[in-house]
Amino acid sequence: MEKIELTRNPFIKTALKSRYPQLAVFIVMLVGYIFAILAGLVGTPVGSHNFSIVFVWIAWWAILILVAVPFFGRGWCAVCPIPLPGEWLQRGAILAPPDKKPKWLNRRWPRALRNIWLQNISFLLLALFSSVLLTTPNITGIVLAAMLFAAIGLSIVFERRSFCRYLCPVGGFIGLYSQTAPLELRIKDKKVCAACEGKPCYNGSAEGYGCPWDVFPGGLTKNSYCGLCMECIRTCPFDNIAVNARPFSADLAKPSARMDEAFKAFIMLGSAMIYAGVLLGPWGTLKDAAYNVGTTAWFIYAAVFLSVIFIVMPSFFALCVTRFENIDRFKKRFATLSTALIPLGLMFWVAFSLSFVLTNASYILASLSDPLGLGWNLFGTANLAWQPMLTSILAPGQTLALVGGLIWSGRTAQKAAKEATVSPVPVIVYCFIVTLAMLWLLI
Amino acid sequence: MRSYLLLLLFAMAGLVVAFAPLPVLVIAPQERTFRIDARQFAYSPSELAVNPGDHITIQLVSTDVVHGLYIDGYDVSAEADPGQTATLTFTADKQGSFRFRCNVTCGAMHPFMIGKLTVGTNDWLLRSAGLAVIAILGVFILVKRN
Amino acid sequence: MKRSELLSRILVVAGMLLAVGAPLIFWTRTPLIHARMADTGGWNPDILQAEVGKPLELHFTSDDVVHGFAVGQLDMEAVDVEPGKVTDVTLTFDKPGTYTFYCTRWCGVNHWRMRGTIEVSGLDVDSETTPTVPLYVTLGIDIDAPHEANAIPENRPSAVRGQQLAASLDISQFSSPDFYRANSPYQIFEGLNSTDLTDTEKWDVVAYIWQSNTTVDALANGRELYAQNCVACHGESGEGNGVFADDLAAAGEASMQSMNGSMDMAMQTPADFTDTSCMLGASLALLEGKILRGGMGTGMPMWGSIFTEKQIQDLIAYLYSFQFEYQR
Repeated sequence: MEKIELTRNPFIKTALKSRYPQLAVFIVMLVGYIFAILAGLVGTPVGSHNFSIVFVWIAWWAILILVAVPFFGRGWCAVCPIPLPGEWLQRGAILAPPDKKPKWLNRRWPRALRNIWLQNISFLLLALFSSVLLTTPNITGIVLAAMLFAAIGLSIVFERRSFCRYLCPVGGFIGLYSQTAPLELRIKDKKVCAACEGKPCYNGSAEGYGCPWDVFPGGLTKNSYCGLCMECIRTCPFDNIAVNARPFSADLAKPSARMDEAFKAFIMLGSAMIYAGVLLGPWGTLKDAAYNVGTTAWFIYAAVFLSVIFIVMPSFFALCVTRFENIDRFKKRFATLSTALIPLGLMFWVAFSLSFVLTNASYILASLSDPLGLGWNLFGTANLAWQPMLTSILAPGQTLALVGGLIWSGRTAQKAAKEATVSPVPVIVYCFIVTLAMLWLLI
Repeated sequence: MRSYLLLLLFAMAGLVVAFAPLPVLVIAPQERTFRIDARQFAYSPSELAVNPGDHITIQLVSTDVVHGLYIDGYDVSAEADPGQTATLTFTADKQGSFRFRCNVTCGAMHPFMIGKLTVGTNDWLLRSAGLAVIAILGVFILVKRN
Repeated sequence: MKRSELLSRILVVAGMLLAVGAPLIFWTRTPLIHARMADTGGWNPDILQAEVGKPLELHFTSDDVVHGFAVGQLDMEAVDVEPGKVTDVTLTFDKPGTYTFYCTRWCGVNHWRMRGTIEVSGLDVDSETTPTVPLYVTLGIDIDAPHEANAIPENRPSAVRGQQLAASLDISQFSSPDFYRANSPYQIFEGLNSTDLTDTEKWDVVAYIWQSNTTVDALANGRELYAQNCVACHGESGEGNGVFADDLAAAGEASMQSMNGSMDMAMQTPADFTDTSCMLGASLALLEGKILRGGMGTGMPMWGSIFTEKQIQDLIAYLYSFQFEYQR
């Protein structure tokens, strides 16, 4: 299968290049985001009837993990409102750059933190408190507000979208999984970039800003760190940047050998399994432990959570890839082969999310009519009864996702193993075993 | 063997595993009664196992606040105030594993107040495990070929 | 600045102000009464004001679990107060005074403590309402003293048999409401010593006397009241083993002392209505006293401001049915 250049279509090209459609979406998203913060802080404390819980953890999450990430990669990042106020302050403008003098401090992000470890940590922080976060409106409101203010603060001190690139907990896994998506932004012709002076795609020009994601578009080979903000399409003087449709998981054919990304894969895989057991399983003690933050039980839960992710799962994986030779070669092989866990993790999250989304989607329509729990009935749907949806397709859907993910990860392991000159069989067996475990937890 | 023939073979094996009727062990249906205590946020017992065709009675006893019990797939439910046992009766005519959950908002972790009812064998889990095995065999064969 | 920039800035700021302002404005302008489990606050606000004859519009929402709302002594249908949803209630009061409103769906061991007051001001149209003194006070009964019966029946007394036996007796003295209310079943059993019935037969007559002072409807009403208010602690079998019995017993270890400094009014397991000696040694006045006044720290709620007189009588009639076999 070949790539299809979507930006060849003049309508698509204009829509992406023009700032107005993007701004319209931005305004809607930002207003919705701020409303969610307020709803969480002043609305009803009952999660299922509060806009912040229903629209963040059910509606937005469903769209993110079932549609945006698998099909559009970092598509959510393209419309996310979190960086916007900070970026507008940073630029001193909302639409076009009036001048190129940098506002505020504009510092370079520290070298030692130029990786996704901070994102791994921020995701884990949310994950350990997830039972409280997912069910308590004011906590969700506070977390959303904290992310917004963190982004504004970072934009004032550092250059570009530092929050998005190095801190955002969601961006960490969206970036990792975007490698599997059938959408990409790439340059058309390398020679054009080689001859280009000034590189306005990275440094900015009168047409737009330099890449807010601190990526050199001319060197983009993977989706991981491109946030699809379209700034480079506006600045490139040679129209050398395109958005393409492509086969799934094209980026995984060129596995990165980074440990931070490898551990992100374990974090996502492990947390999907733990959530499936704790949240969707019948074991009350686990739920109590996960919810009662601060108790001994919760500390034990947190310790188990972290050891599963950082010790248990990686250790078994290490056994699958080691040839008991020098540590550097081993680390490279470990990181390269962990690429196989990327499609598997994505499908684990799809399968897990399908369950609670289908069970609770009926809250969405009700919440639209009464977002704050004040007794409104804006669209007449406030009294719709809770009713799980499509329960008959849930188990088949989860099976499809998990078995499909297994095949996908097996193929990815095969290709990555070729790079790492080792047999993919142990890794494939590893994937098989965790898939069986996830099937048992979910079905 | 040619690639597409192999693919066809695997696809057929997959369809068989997914859809072929499994042998059903016919056990005479019984009357079964279970007492389930409900608290924030768990059922006790939280896992039930019955045979297909059994006539089930669940006595739901709430021990702190008002709870409900709704069974996925069967779409039946009951609601119990603390102290007033509620009774839910139905015939377990669908085989497989079904989660039951609380359908009366009972606090923060209400959406995760879940138990499991298994009627007969969890067919679908066996089938998906089988499909996973076929998938893995397929991947291994591909690995060998390359 | 370009026009597009200005316009977009206006839109962004307006949007953000709307997103912040709308929830705040609507939230402050919507007068809601929040219901929470007693341990986390109960009713908020819990003191309401009203005027005689003026409809009082109330809007309730629950912040956690299913609650219910009713006003005591008004014989009103309870309404459910559901989490995240709003329930509207309009009340109109005929008489001034202090009314108690309470939660009607069990919401934890402290459910009964979830109460508030409505202070209704205005003129009392007919001032014939003088507070009645409970019978146990008039009679001087110490309702906290033990009340074991000195003798108990071997089998459950049957009112049907009692009716047949009583046909040939003159029991008008014992079955008059005044006598029946002031004396325990045991005392009436003793009073029947003047007849030549066997002990079993005497108990059957006592059962019949109790049955004749109530009706089938009253018993059904009493059963309903018991289910809604008592069963959570006292149990469906009346044995005092309801779902909260263990919590109460556990709390007893660390509960408050009575004013006398002793532990005899500590929280304890709920009363066992199947305990024949205790029940048959308790007069209606005594039981009424316990229900009206509550347990003074034992965990037994006081229902004086909640139940009407009829409701209490119906409930007590039902309680005796744990001991007596009434005609269906």
